[in-house]
Amino acid sequence: NIDPASLLPKLPRPEELKPFPTVCSTLFRGHEGRVRSLAIDPSGVWLASGGDDGTVRVWELLTGRQLWSAKIGDDEAVNVVRWRPGRDAVILSAGAGEDIYLLAPPIVDPETDAASREILDHGFGHATNATQTLTANGARKEPVAKWTRPGTRLEDEGVLIKITVRTTVKVISWHRRGDFFSTVSPTAQRSAVAIHTLSKHLTQIPFRRLPGIAQTVQFHPSRPLFFVATQRTIRSYDLQKQELVKIIQPGARWISSFDIHPGGDNLIVGSYDRRLLWHDLDLSTRPYKTMRFHNKAIRAVKYHKGGFPLFADASDDGSLQIFHGKVVSDLMENATIVPVKVLKGHKVKSALGVMDIDWHPKEPWCVSAGADERET
Amino acid sequence: MEDSIATATGHGQVQVYFSTNSPDIELPEEKRQLRVPTDVRRYGLSQILNSESMLDTSAPIPFDFLINGTFLRTTIDEYLVANGLSSETTLNLQYVRSLIPPLYEASFEHDDWVSCVDVLSGSSAAGKWSGKTVSAGQERILSGSYDGLLRIWNKSGQVIATSTSSSAGGHTSSIKSAKFISSTQIASAGLDRTVRIWKYSEVEDGFSGELKPTLELYGHKAGIDSIDVHGPSSRILTASTDGMIGLWTTQKASAPAVNTSLLNSGPTAKRRKLTTSTSTTQRGPLSLISSHTAPVSAVIFNPLDATVGYSASHDHTIRTFDLATSTVVDTRTTSHPLLSLSALPGISTQLLAAGTSARHITLLDPRISASSTQVMTLRGHTNKIVSLSPDPESNYGLVSGSHDGTCRVWDLRSSRQGTKDEGNGLVGEAVYVVERDSQKDQAKRPVGGEGIKVFGVSWDKDVGIVSAGEDKMVQINRGRGVTRAENS
Ligand SMILES: [Mg+2]
Repeated sequence: NIDPASLLPKLPRPEELKPFPTVCSTLFRGHEGRVRSLAIDPSGVWLASGGDDGTVRVWELLTGRQLWSAKIGDDEAVNVVRWRPGRDAVILSAGAGEDIYLLAPPIVDPETDAASREILDHGFGHATNATQTLTANGARKEPVAKWTRPGTRLEDEGVLIKITVRTTVKVISWHRRGDFFSTVSPTAQRSAVAIHTLSKHLTQIPFRRLPGIAQTVQFHPSRPLFFVATQRTIRSYDLQKQELVKIIQPGARWISSFDIHPGGDNLIVGSYDRRLLWHDLDLSTRPYKTMRFHNKAIRAVKYHKGGFPLFADASDDGSLQIFHGKVVSDLMENATIVPVKVLKGHKVKSALGVMDIDWHPKEPWCVSAGADERET
Repeated sequence: MEDSIATATGHGQVQVYFSTNSPDIELPEEKRQLRVPTDVRRYGLSQILNSESMLDTSAPIPFDFLINGTFLRTTIDEYLVANGLSSETTLNLQYVRSLIPPLYEASFEHDDWVSCVDVLSGSSAAGKWSGKTVSAGQERILSGSYDGLLRIWNKSGQVIATSTSSSAGGHTSSIKSAKFISSTQIASAGLDRTVRIWKYSEVEDGFSGELKPTLELYGHKAGIDSIDVHGPSSRILTASTDGMIGLWTTQKASAPAVNTSLLNSGPTAKRRKLTTSTSTTQRGPLSLISSHTAPVSAVIFNPLDATVGYSASHDHTIRTFDLATSTVVDTRTTSHPLLSLSALPGISTQLLAAGTSARHITLLDPRISASSTQVMTLRGHTNKIVSLSPDPESNYGLVSGSHDGTCRVWDLRSSRQGTKDEGNGLVGEAVYVVERDSQKDQAKRPVGGEGIKVFGVSWDKDVGIVSAGEDKMVQINRGRGVTRAENS
């Protein structure tokens, strides 16, 4: 007879897995109402946020000081803010209602500001808005997206481009090189997922049919693969060959978010039905590990991308769960996953808790956006 | 003498041996050994030392006593019991000038967060570099604020001068660091990426003055977090979020020309320019040193040798620069992002103190020959440590300012062996904790130091511990009543 406990893998104690975030060190207060989304810039100096008050704000990450804000949503919440990757320019993208805005916040030196504006303006030469395809019966087809100048008031504040799509944008996800980004408008039927080319001011709809309502998307960190999550599955596509590569089945009823490990072979999935799933993409299309730590929906999951074996999820129960998640290069060995810390502090309002989460690009620091206000 | 003290009290006695590292208060050899009552505390021992038969001081000097690196905070009897020692032991009492509890004195209210403070006094570096001496009572406090303005205060809390606004040659964004170069010259820098040199003048009565911009220095591509000045050589050092260290001169004639692409020229700046009368001279850096791989949070001149600079960065390193050649001569890597830096005379050799994001202060021996890098760790803050200033009256003291909303006073002579969790090594704990007076009615410090973060602290011999923070206050704390027993 074997003691079943002896068959369990030996997991290290959380104390042995330091460093990981343990205390709330900064609060960012200013938004009126819920903070929907946040993102730390690639240099790790600034934090951008967007919320129900229709504003985008940029903060000094270290002090919690607000440096800049712009009201881009008249009656609409800012549902998502994401920085363009790369250090050659400082460009922020934000979604409010059906509009995607590209911003050059006036927080940088004149040379970087000029470089950012140059990148944003370059596509105006392509005049893609003018080329409207004809439908079968010869009528002019409405373009899937309109790239325009948002008007003097916003342009003076550094909001330089407005891209209008057909329904509310919930997700923005950038390709690592900073020229492509994808957006998701879950309520749009055929054009739910759009891929935008910044240098050409061009918007394309890569999938005319999806097996369910699109939830979120992500570009693979190193290969030309594109991942699309619908409520129940995540599909990966080869962008060059334009073909389906894999269907990942987490077994969740309603996927809210997923993130790809910087190594590219593992993936975490969060779901509204409170599940957190780890997939080893080499191993199987089914999850390697299923975890249920929260008693409310999981809204966001995110890997640390700067060298620490950390990931975190954010839940409507008002807490974040921080995990140690070490991926080993050995194909035969599975990732070590240890929950190391629960971070509480967000008040739950209208059944909404922590709405978004991000990691510092280098340090083991995370930030979270709350239905209350906000914290690090 | 021995007998008189002992018989007067009628309590138990213990043999003590008094020693000190300060030659000016050393006892003659024959007086160092003494029997004292075991129920005395610090105050009683201090009185004994000051007495006619011992040091015979003209004005009493308050003393503290270290036994094995720990300050005596109980009666000797309680100490013996706590450490399982018999009263037959001879106790080695190292006596040091007492740190006076830094009691709250005053607060000066600002319109916005206060990021930094500096003091001009007869004993401050800038005071000594000035042509004429700063007399007692004429000390000045300089504050820099997130509203982009510098203010000069007298000790009564009156604003004597405010810097000009951005439309008249002032900063166009928040100020992060400002220093007196002399009683008539100031340097400041901040989020607008510029260093500005100001001429400061006061009218005869000393109740009003003027801060006039004289020079704008351009070179950094991101905000400047910290500056240091060296009056005699007219040099300035800057630490920037762009990862660079800047070396500059305040002398227009010897400063290089400005790189015009760094001047504001974008559409947003254009509008600003229309209203700006740019009559201030613009110059560039003597050199920009690129070495760190992340934002630089602090930079200082070696106080003993202004041709040497030290910097601390988010990249976890402290670097030593030869400023004559603008080269890095040494790099020390620590385990955490570093947010503040100060040089201390130290016990035997000069030390560097660096405040971390991980809530402790690391003490390093910067000498390249030093065999062991980390000397000691100071623990107790509960949030990032963003400002440090040495004790002007002791080689062993310093004060730190933290986002936890406190300033803490440390004495390097007081230490213990750290636990395994603390990475072993020597650990020091704060001697005093200075809270924000703006927070005195609150039972608990707020989460994340919200509303009370300390951003800057400066310790001056004549004025005291001056700190600045998110509560929009400059706060002065000062040791008073040197003969008071307090609770020791
Ligand atoms: Mg594997």
